[in-house]
Amino acid sequence: MAQTQVVTDQGIGELILLWREEPASGMESIVCLDNATVVTAAVGSTFASPGSTSAHHTDSGLLLAAIDTVAGDTTNTAGDTILFDHIFTATATKNVAGIHVCNNDDDVAFIECGFNAVLAMESGDTLTIDGQSTIDQA
Amino acid sequence: MTDRNVSFTRATTAGGGAKVSLPGTLRNGICVDCNVKMEVREVWIDTKRTVDGEVVVTPKQVNRPVCPICGEMKGQLIVRTTPIPKPKPPEGIKPKDFRKFIKDSLLLDILSSYHTRRVAFANANRPEIKEIPERYRTGEPSPKTLWQAVKAIIGLRYTICKI
Repeated sequence: MAQTQVVTDQGIGELILLWREEPASGMESIVCLDNATVVTAAVGSTFASPGSTSAHHTDSGLLLAAIDTVAGDTTNTAGDTILFDHIFTATATKNVAGIHVCNNDDDVAFIECGFNAVLAMESGDTLTIDGQSTIDQA
Repeated sequence: MTDRNVSFTRATTAGGGAKVSLPGTLRNGICVDCNVKMEVREVWIDTKRTVDGEVVVTPKQVNRPVCPICGEMKGQLIVRTTPIPKPKPPEGIKPKDFRKFIKDSLLLDILSSYHTRRVAFANANRPEIKEIPERYRTGEPSPKTLWQAVKAIIGLRYTICKI
């Protein structure tokens, strides 16, 4: 299974809310997905219902946390990219199958990612996420 | 911004739209420089956000493995995942467009298979347990052609070829 990553329908819906000048939320938090098998990212996934019937980790350093760095950038047209970096430190042996990038109200998953294979993390291991999302015409 | 996988930056969808690239880097708790076990400590880091065009830096306390000798917070690389993009749709209805699309799809499928096996292999052979070729941990260089990808999978499948 390939590593899969998508901007979810929920994420696009939140972006359109912003364009319509309705209350919308921004990218704020990140959480690891718990699954014993590989996760396939799906556009229909939501914060409450991650892809491949995964669950959010709720402990051991892999739980929902504020993203370390969120910054704007340019790939093709000015300001078309958002960069986000985060480091998780595991405090117990856990499987990580993917991640969710979420909003500041912790009720919307903007991005879902399922890794190439399930990562078996042990206490003291770190997982660095170097994310990039671009919305452009190219 | 560290460890960004810059050599494989094709997006997940072809054409305009929303594209995501999310490589993950897994490291163990052994200092990359001193080769000693690091201790998980509470440290202060600077979180950065862009607000109204200005970068706002806020300190945050987090758990990080820290080397007791050099103070470095970087462990040995276990594995780096590789995002695989979807193939570009055919640009026209000519047979050559479809041939190209089928060729690209095949390559990406075999490439996916290689990276899936590579990540599982590197993850099962952590650096503190077994030394394996660096290309299986980093995913670089990634195969560029069908033949290279098939060869790389054969290399991963048979133990004697992994060296």
